Amino acid sequence: MGKKIKKWGMVIDQRKCVGCHTCTVACKSENNVPLGYWRSWVKGIEKGRYPDVKNFFLRRLCNHCDNPPCVDVCPVQATLKRADGVVMMYYGKCIGCGMCIAACPYDARFFNPVRRTADKCSFCSHRIDANLLPACVTSCIGRAITFGDLNDPRSEVSKLIASNATVVIKPELGTLPKVFYIAADRDLMGRIRISEKYPEAIEEYQKTIPSKLSDYWKR
Amino acid sequence: MSVLYNVPHEIPWKVYIPLYFYFTGLSAGSFILSSLSTVFGIKKYKPLALPAAIVSFILLLVAPVCLILDLQQPMRFWHTLVPAFFNPKSVLSYGTWLLTIYPIANLVYIWFIFARDDRMTKVLGTITVPLAIFVHAYTGFAFAVVRARTWWHSALMPGYFLTSAILSGVALLVIVAFVMDRFSENKLMEEVFSDLYNMMIAIILVDLFWVMSFWFTLLLSNTNGFASIIIALHEPLYLWGEIVMGMLVPLFLLIFPRTRRSRAWVSLSAILVVLGVFIMRYSLVFIGFAVPLS
Repeated sequence: MGKKIKKWGMVIDQRKCVGCHTCTVACKSENNVPLGYWRSWVKGIEKGRYPDVKNFFLRRLCNHCDNPPCVDVCPVQATLKRADGVVMMYYGKCIGCGMCIAACPYDARFFNPVRRTADKCSFCSHRIDANLLPACVTSCIGRAITFGDLNDPRSEVSKLIASNATVVIKPELGTLPKVFYIAADRDLMGRIRISEKYPEAIEEYQKTIPSKLSDYWKR
Repeated sequence: MSVLYNVPHEIPWKVYIPLYFYFTGLSAGSFILSSLSTVFGIKKYKPLALPAAIVSFILLLVAPVCLILDLQQPMRFWHTLVPAFFNPKSVLSYGTWLLTIYPIANLVYIWFIFARDDRMTKVLGTITVPLAIFVHAYTGFAFAVVRARTWWHSALMPGYFLTSAILSGVALLVIVAFVMDRFSENKLMEEVFSDLYNMMIAIILVDLFWVMSFWFTLLLSNTNGFASIIIALHEPLYLWGEIVMGMLVPLFLLIFPRTRRSRAWVSLSAILVVLGVFIMRYSLVFIGFAVPLS
């Protein structure tokens, strides 16, 4: 490979994902994420009625956008895109204003209640800098997650992207994510869908938010 | 289709953020009103120049406190003023500098009014008016650049913030002027009041135009935009608080001749406007967070 700059990326093959949440747990223990908070998770939906019912999963994490909205809004440069494309948090600088959390189109950021700063997935930067794979990749039981250098055409991720139809979440926002999905269901891809039960569906969602702040605007 | 499992994250902001917008808005609005006589030379507003400037300065002392209280790391607020940390793409970076320079300029301006130095007041006022405009408009830009949330992502946002800021400033000054008039010997001219009422009517109409633009574009927008406007229209705080109580009722009270002549009714409409603008900030921030993104 020589001295060529790397550009880390991830391909997640949803055909191989069984929804076991091993990556969720591996991420949480590797990065010491506080109780009740997740840097990565597996979104699951159920479609159809018995007996024609099927579950679909989407393994979610920070997309490490090539054009990251969170980096643009940070007033103190506490979050920056490294040369290898990893969008990093620099906790010592972060003042905790929450602008990056509000600006992330993927809801991948949160306030870490222990550090009292914004926090998010770092592609396990401490591991990839030591030539290891991220914790979620090594732990995936179905080998659904592939990690590698997008600049190297011979890397496994480049080959998967070249030989499969891949999608990213919310491509219309122009954030250019570096997490690619194979065979991800469209109902999982983030955009809310219009239904007749619209306001009820939103309220149902808001009840799932653990913080009391979710009903701030209801008071 | 039903969601089996998902992780939505908490809303990062507390009520301090809409309060902060509200205070800077009131401050900017009051300052612009103060500058009418000192900078733009409309002599009949001269008695209002000093009280308006003082109100705007006092509110400026409260506003940054709200902003710092909302931080998770309040002791690190000075990071925003370190030149090495300055992010040229971040609206908030410019905002913190504006929020530092504007109160100083404002204070010097007040000092020159006290010193009765009309020439220097005009010079300082000319410098401070754009600062006052941008110290409030930057919050509108901060929202407008968030493309993730359709409720905020609109180029109208800075203008909407600014007009409602001036509206709240005028309404607050109407209340202050009533109190002043009650307790001082030199009475203000009726004409000044009439002008202030007309200003309020005009700006409420402009605000209603912005609201209409938001409704029409969002109702025909993508699914997230449609979701946010549907949430807003189902939210009593937005529909009854912001639109009816904060705009339509005061508009009626200021236009209808019998209520327009009565200071009690006008005070009520000014109070409703001041409250309504706060509800506008509040609903704007939190309805933006109501649409799930994951």
